[in-house]
Amino acid sequence: MHSDSNELGAVTAECLSSDTGGLFGKVLDLSEHGLFLVDSARKIVLWNEWMVQASSMARRNVIGRTFNEVFPELAGTRVASVIETALDKRAASLLSRSLNKSLFPLFSANGGGARKRIEQSVIVKPIECDGRDYCLVQITDVTPMVQREEVLRVLAREAEAAQKAAEEISRFKSEFTSTVSHELRTPLTSIRGSLGLVSSGVMGELPLEVNKLVSIACNNTERLLFLINDILDIDKIESGKMDFVIGPVDLMAVLRQALEANQPYGEQYKIRYVLKQVVAGVVVKADTDRLMQVLNNLLSNAAKFSPEGAEVEISVLQNGAMVRVEVKDSGAGIPLQFQSRIFEKFSQADGSDTRKTGGTGLGLSISKAIMEKMGGGIGFETEEGKGTTFYIDICEAAPA
Amino acid sequence: MFEITDIQRDYITEILNISMGSAAAVLSEMVGEEVGLSVPEVVFLPRRVAADKFDLNNSAKMSGVTQSVSGAINGDALLMFPEEKTLTIVRILLGDTVPVESLTEMEQEAMCEIGNIILNAIVSSVANLLQKEIVSSLPHFISGTGREIYAINAGCEDDLVMFLKVGFGLESQSINGHVTLMLNVPSLREFIAHLDEQINAL
Repeated sequence: MHSDSNELGAVTAECLSSDTGGLFGKVLDLSEHGLFLVDSARKIVLWNEWMVQASSMARRNVIGRTFNEVFPELAGTRVASVIETALDKRAASLLSRSLNKSLFPLFSANGGGARKRIEQSVIVKPIECDGRDYCLVQITDVTPMVQREEVLRVLAREAEAAQKAAEEISRFKSEFTSTVSHELRTPLTSIRGSLGLVSSGVMGELPLEVNKLVSIACNNTERLLFLINDILDIDKIESGKMDFVIGPVDLMAVLRQALEANQPYGEQYKIRYVLKQVVAGVVVKADTDRLMQVLNNLLSNAAKFSPEGAEVEISVLQNGAMVRVEVKDSGAGIPLQFQSRIFEKFSQADGSDTRKTGGTGLGLSISKAIMEKMGGGIGFETEEGKGTTFYIDICEAAPA
Repeated sequence: MFEITDIQRDYITEILNISMGSAAAVLSEMVGEEVGLSVPEVVFLPRRVAADKFDLNNSAKMSGVTQSVSGAINGDALLMFPEEKTLTIVRILLGDTVPVESLTEMEQEAMCEIGNIILNAIVSSVANLLQKEIVSSLPHFISGTGREIYAINAGCEDDLVMFLKVGFGLESQSINGHVTLMLNVPSLREFIAHLDEQINAL
């Protein structure tokens, strides 16, 4: 059938060309890949059914002609050169779709007559048979993969854009909180000052009823200021703008100072602070003001949640390379279902309790953030009905 | 440890750099921008030492391309980069990228082609030096730690490998990777003998 079959041994030709009814040829015609074989004279000696369909070139028009005659438009391209390399140097090559757009002029027969160029990935392999060299070219249709990645690309871009938008919103929210809080603080400070002056009697004696109302206004202004300061602190911590000056700190001195400062507060709740155990002269690595803030928070919490007449016990002990400060109250304990949320923002065990105890629900969240920034930690042990011990661990400073 | 003289080393490096030049030209033409390739360093090491070179710095993953070679030398040729560098190379070369954390299937295929071009160039210069034929297979994408890639614990950790540093120059970035050729000792001796013949003929 082919005058060129003398290029191959007659047996090989029989095997390869399905026109001659060869079994292997029939098998190759069933392949889902485009397959063709080039011999050492650069002539095409095999052209499977997939190639016939995609190229619209019948086998009889291709077999026996050189690669350059069949694909004149590919002369000097990378495909042509890797075929040379396979035949001359026995090196296999891969031509990816991404780096080689539209390699061969091949089209898919899309029902309805619109033929689309096939996205291809190509491998070129040297083959030796009966002392002769051939080069096998295998073409895979990667059109579905290209489409899938196009979808993936769009989705990934959308996800990226959505994340940017979310970050923008979060930044805006944080800026808004910070601005509003600052704006609120200024007038509040002057309200508190004025109310303070009025209630102190500087402006003249007030009737008892009026004095009572003014002092309620005073207390609530105070609470509002605490809340705003806490919100500003949280905001600073979250935006990483809270500055820490960490250095060696005399822990006992700071603790005594905190106890002294909280004494009036303790009296208000009719509790007593008792220093049970100390580590004399211990020096820790901390920011003094921030450590003071954490101690104040723990001490005032303990006072708020203890029954009248109770004692709040404070102990300082060595805990490995850390120093632990414990503050033990004899309050109601923390309910189990609340324990996991205790360090979250705006959390208090019982919403209804807030009015009585007057906290913002931000203190522990701030304390935790501060302790972590200083390389330490915060935790608690609690038993319902018996009380709670909050503790902080602070890094001990290396002895000088 | 297998040692080569400075002259032998210079000669191999020179020959490899010539073939790197043509591989770089192919890559540059494909991507339409300047790609630089160089081999600044060639050493012979046991597999174990080569694997440790990757794992000592960090046990981070490496990824790259491997091809098996047969004929005058038998074994594997590997082109390895730290995983995130592979991502950088492919995405710079392809330009149009999918912003996901690992290479997509088609990007892996593109990396295989890049590796294929470089490894074929190196294998073909070694074949030229040996004046023998080396058949190389299709490239595969691989990733893992150095020890996984070098199949340490497979009983061949003392086998010598030819370990080449490869510099990849892209845009304003310079990315270093490594090419390893697994050589058996007889072909290594033959390689050096051919090298000497050619140096003496100069």
